Amino acid sequence: MTHSARVHPPEDLLWDYHRGRLSPGMRLTVRTHTDLCPQCRSELRLFDAIGGALLEDVEGVAMSDNALDLALARIERPEEPESSATVTHPGFLDGFDLPESLKAADIPGRYWVAPGVWMAPVRFDEDSRGTKTYLMFVKKGMVMPEHTHRGREITLMLKGTFNDQNGSYGRGDFVLCDETIQHSPAVSADEDCLCLVAQEGLILPKTWLGKLLQPFARI
Amino acid sequence: MTFDHISVIGFAGPGMDTDTTPLRDPTPDSTPERLIARIAESRDRDAYALLFTRFAPKLKAFVMGQGLSAQEAEDLAQDAMLNVWRKAHLFDPAKATAVTWIYSIARNLRIDAARKAKRVRDLPDDLWQGEGEKPADQEMIDHQSAQSISVLIGALPPDQQTVLKMSFYEDLSHGDIAKALSLPLGTVKSRLRLALARLKTGLSAPGGRA
Repeated sequence: MTHSARVHPPEDLLWDYHRGRLSPGMRLTVRTHTDLCPQCRSELRLFDAIGGALLEDVEGVAMSDNALDLALARIERPEEPESSATVTHPGFLDGFDLPESLKAADIPGRYWVAPGVWMAPVRFDEDSRGTKTYLMFVKKGMVMPEHTHRGREITLMLKGTFNDQNGSYGRGDFVLCDETIQHSPAVSADEDCLCLVAQEGLILPKTWLGKLLQPFARI
Repeated sequence: MTFDHISVIGFAGPGMDTDTTPLRDPTPDSTPERLIARIAESRDRDAYALLFTRFAPKLKAFVMGQGLSAQEAEDLAQDAMLNVWRKAHLFDPAKATAVTWIYSIARNLRIDAARKAKRVRDLPDDLWQGEGEKPADQEMIDHQSAQSISVLIGALPPDQQTVLKMSFYEDLSHGDIAKALSLPLGTVKSRLRLALARLKTGLSAPGGRA
């Protein structure tokens, strides 16, 4: 892991991640970023350390009378084996260096939206309505016409780079776009691009992206 | 109480027989870190009872402050302590204090419980366990003590303390805090940012670690 992410989640998002209040897709993007970013892991550890110190400072509320007996009884019971849920891990992801968060994610299949472009939706056990989350692969050298966004959209870079008017983004970078951002991202000409995308708000038709993405030469 | 205080300072050293409150003034063998080690090493039930007595009421109070009912909070405290028992072998005192580790266990349980209705399966977010260590993680808050962070928090300007404590004790988003205090969101964010920066600086300063 030689490359360190340069673009990080905003602090309020990292805080909401810490307290478990992000939608499944948003949570996965932040989790994946922290898998790749020592700096944000360190920030999360600081949150835990603060929480620990504040827990220490709290005046306790008495447990019920039999609480200790119950606790001592519970530790004698055999531990139920943790159910290891089966996660679909399709072959088309084999060649990619995926962080742990995505190795554990349920990604049943992919579909091609244009030549050189596929999307692979991430499936969640819990209600993930309102957010669409998918891996997106884009062949090197593709560019999207200038566009804006409806609602928050996070692109977490896993492989390759893309550039837009605001900068250049590589592995681990956490790119947050919303209505205020207008850009025309272009995938590097040297390397294919894989990213994890979480879109809130408007759910676009499957073909939308394919219509937008064009080989660079044709623009 | 004044007399007790004087007598402790005057005559009682750590580990002496006169020390009747070992959990508040821990002897080396009954620090929370040592108690967890004793559980890991020999499934020491006495150590567990001491740890439970000390932390379960705090856990209960903490999550009640965040909005759980007394019964829910009691159950969460029980479950968190059960996890401490089961995961004791994963605790690494070089990385976290006991109370930080216990907090992180309770936090994960709380998040899981909130999602349980939705049958979620997620990776455990164990930042503090022994495996999967990456050296770059070590940079800042290794070996920090809850004590020194507590002191640093106490030294923050009141405005910063307020937003920090509301974040943790009341489980509020930055936007929630802005509403509650009738402050612009940017003000809340900058106060938190300053508070975190001060804590980081304090922890990495010489003497900032225990």
